[in-house]
Amino acid sequence: MTIVTRDRIRAKLKEGDTSVRILLAHPMHTGRGKNELGLLVPAEFIQDIRCWRNDREVLTIKCGTATAANPYFSFQLAGGKQGDRIAIRWVDNLGAKGTVETVVK
Amino acid sequence: MTKQIDKDRRRVLKKTISASTLALVASSGLLLPQRLLAHWPKDAFTAETVEDALLALLGEAEIVDDETVSFKVGAPPSYAVNGAAVPVEVRSELKNIERISILVEKNPFPLAMTVELNADAKLPFKSMIKIAEDTNVIAVVRADSQLYRTSRFVEVDIGGCA
Repeated sequence: MTIVTRDRIRAKLKEGDTSVRILLAHPMHTGRGKNELGLLVPAEFIQDIRCWRNDREVLTIKCGTATAANPYFSFQLAGGKQGDRIAIRWVDNLGAKGTVETVVK
Repeated sequence: MTKQIDKDRRRVLKKTISASTLALVASSGLLLPQRLLAHWPKDAFTAETVEDALLALLGEAEIVDDETVSFKVGAPPSYAVNGAAVPVEVRSELKNIERISILVEKNPFPLAMTVELNADAKLPFKSMIKIAEDTNVIAVVRADSQLYRTSRFVEVDIGGCA
């Protein structure tokens, strides 16, 4: 049974700064693991994550295969106010893409 | 005579089909990722030693071993039950941090991730990485064009590089 998950993002004001947490739904196969049949699972991992705040790019994360499955990231943005838009885009090595967006609370 | 024409016709047909398939594949975007991700530093991520990875990522650069970067791996620190998801946390008092890289010394490909921060982004940065066996985890921070390196030894119960 596959559990259907989706990318999540939370942004919150904390002591004047914006704290952003991201949880992406991605298997992050390294290309070395095997499935139940003992066959190698081809590599499939997120390579590039970008983060925008109100159309201004603030952060880029490049991932290798050593990033854990369902990658989690947390970071702070200086300043910010309620209602700021925080958006994330990711691309994996096979070209799959995803976007998530949230508003600062 | 007719046979010759038939042969030619077949060849022409074959070529057109393969050409059109190629065009279709190209236009459907299957070939796109490579172009799109040209900026993904492949050499650094496929390097097999820490030195090679750092060289590919940062070029020749002087690295200072420094403890102004506080860096935590595992929970509780320096120990991880499951190597498939080990929390890491990087904090620092340094100003103008431009880039953070996290490397795991004994992984098949040491470079786990590299983060580029713009002026607005701040630490602490937290994430989860995979660790294959007991090893040193290294964080390299670039701030004001200077590199700072900190490492932590981590014990892993179940290796997680599947």
